[in-house]
Amino acid sequence: MSASPLAEPVSAQDHGSATNPGRIGSLLHRYANPGRFLRLSERLSPFLVWPAIVLSVAGMVWGLFLSPADWQQGDAVRIMYVHVPAAWLASLGYAALAVCGVLSLVWRHRLADLAAAEIGPVGASVTFLCLLSGSLWGRPMWGAWWVWDARLTSVLVLFFLYLGHVALIRAFDDPSRGARAAAILAVAGAVDLPIIKFSVQWWNTLHQPDSITLTGAPTMSFSMLWPLLVCTLGFSFAFAAIVNTRLRAAILETRTRQLLLQGARE
Amino acid sequence: MTRKTRRLWLVGGCMLGFGTATILTLQAFSTDIVFFMAPSQILAHPPAPNRTIRLGGMVVAGSLKETHEAGKPPSVSFLVTDGQDAIPVRFTGVLPDLFREGQSVVALGEMRPGGAFIASEVLAKHDETYMPKEVAEALRKSGRWDPRFGKPPSASSWDDMTVAPSRGS
Amino acid sequence: MTHLPFIAGAYAATIGVFLILSVSAALRLRAAERRLHAVETRRERVRA
Repeated sequence: MSASPLAEPVSAQDHGSATNPGRIGSLLHRYANPGRFLRLSERLSPFLVWPAIVLSVAGMVWGLFLSPADWQQGDAVRIMYVHVPAAWLASLGYAALAVCGVLSLVWRHRLADLAAAEIGPVGASVTFLCLLSGSLWGRPMWGAWWVWDARLTSVLVLFFLYLGHVALIRAFDDPSRGARAAAILAVAGAVDLPIIKFSVQWWNTLHQPDSITLTGAPTMSFSMLWPLLVCTLGFSFAFAAIVNTRLRAAILETRTRQLLLQGARE
Repeated sequence: MTRKTRRLWLVGGCMLGFGTATILTLQAFSTDIVFFMAPSQILAHPPAPNRTIRLGGMVVAGSLKETHEAGKPPSVSFLVTDGQDAIPVRFTGVLPDLFREGQSVVALGEMRPGGAFIASEVLAKHDETYMPKEVAEALRKSGRWDPRFGKPPSASSWDDMTVAPSRGS
Repeated sequence: MTHLPFIAGAYAATIGVFLILSVSAALRLRAAERRLHAVETRRERVRA
């Protein structure tokens, strides 16, 4: 029992090693300490939860009832206000998973593994929402629930990458082995992100190109752009709040397990 | 070189290698990844007869003809163009809501020896422009845009055109 | 509203998924806090 990996202490000493981690490393180490993160996370929580509720509700009411209908899509365009934020968050969440993967593989941060385990299911849910709302939008507009074009297929691949990650990180009796395998999957799977982003430019697809880009002016009226941005902000805060809460719970659960194991050994 | 630095290089190197492999694979299969072929592509490289392909392009203004025969679903014929060539398409069935002249569409079907495309399914491909009805109406009234001839002008010019359509530029 | 069933479906799914995620996260955090508290007090009682 004493050899169990769960007994591995989640504490600052865990990360200290003989090698000099460098400046980025030491900055990371400051916040990679679960105890310090716990305090930070608790203080941060209201600043995530309240904007999430207020902005999401405001954005959805604005999108559903106050914004104008599209000239050709009619009211179906309102699905955009939930579909586009879900799509952005799906990619953003996977990027976060990949960053956690690098932190885990290179710096061996336990907190990065805990975070990856909590981001995975939330990201998978958001990707599912993106696919579902896209399907509900595609049926009346395009005339098809689903087509195998490059954009839709690459997002479906992202969904399976998420599912694989969720399963892999919990697949081993030794959590550190699962974390290592999942981190490799997260980092390798990140190649799908530029494919999703540029699929609508590289290949001809049924999915339309992006309306909002970093380089060009949005091809959207401001009366539709504002509710979209409010919804995106609100959903992003919600995503962060949910991951934050889950991560805090995960740290407490780990601590409880350690105490129980220590008690069993004493 | 510390262990951490070595691991950082290792992860970076693997990402680079894996990324390159992916790019090369996608390059190799890029003709299979495209969802549809444009009329000029189809005419330049005619597909084998009876091979199901997807044809994509814009419905030519004024080319849409509907034929109603008693006891049969309505049948339509229209021209699809990519600006260079046009292919006549015939389709029997229900068209999507967004189907109209000037709209981009993707039709699934096969080329017939006469040069016509017989579609079994027609999907509408809308563009990335979103605007309220009033804006579309104003653009049309000001004479700056006719939806039957393609995409609307860029969104940054909508205000000029709708607020002061007579100002000119 | 045109296409109402599709719009309602998309919004209902979004609200539903976010509600399930947040409520389950909140419940899990509360349970984790209680459990840790219980284990800590038990340990202190054993030590004392």
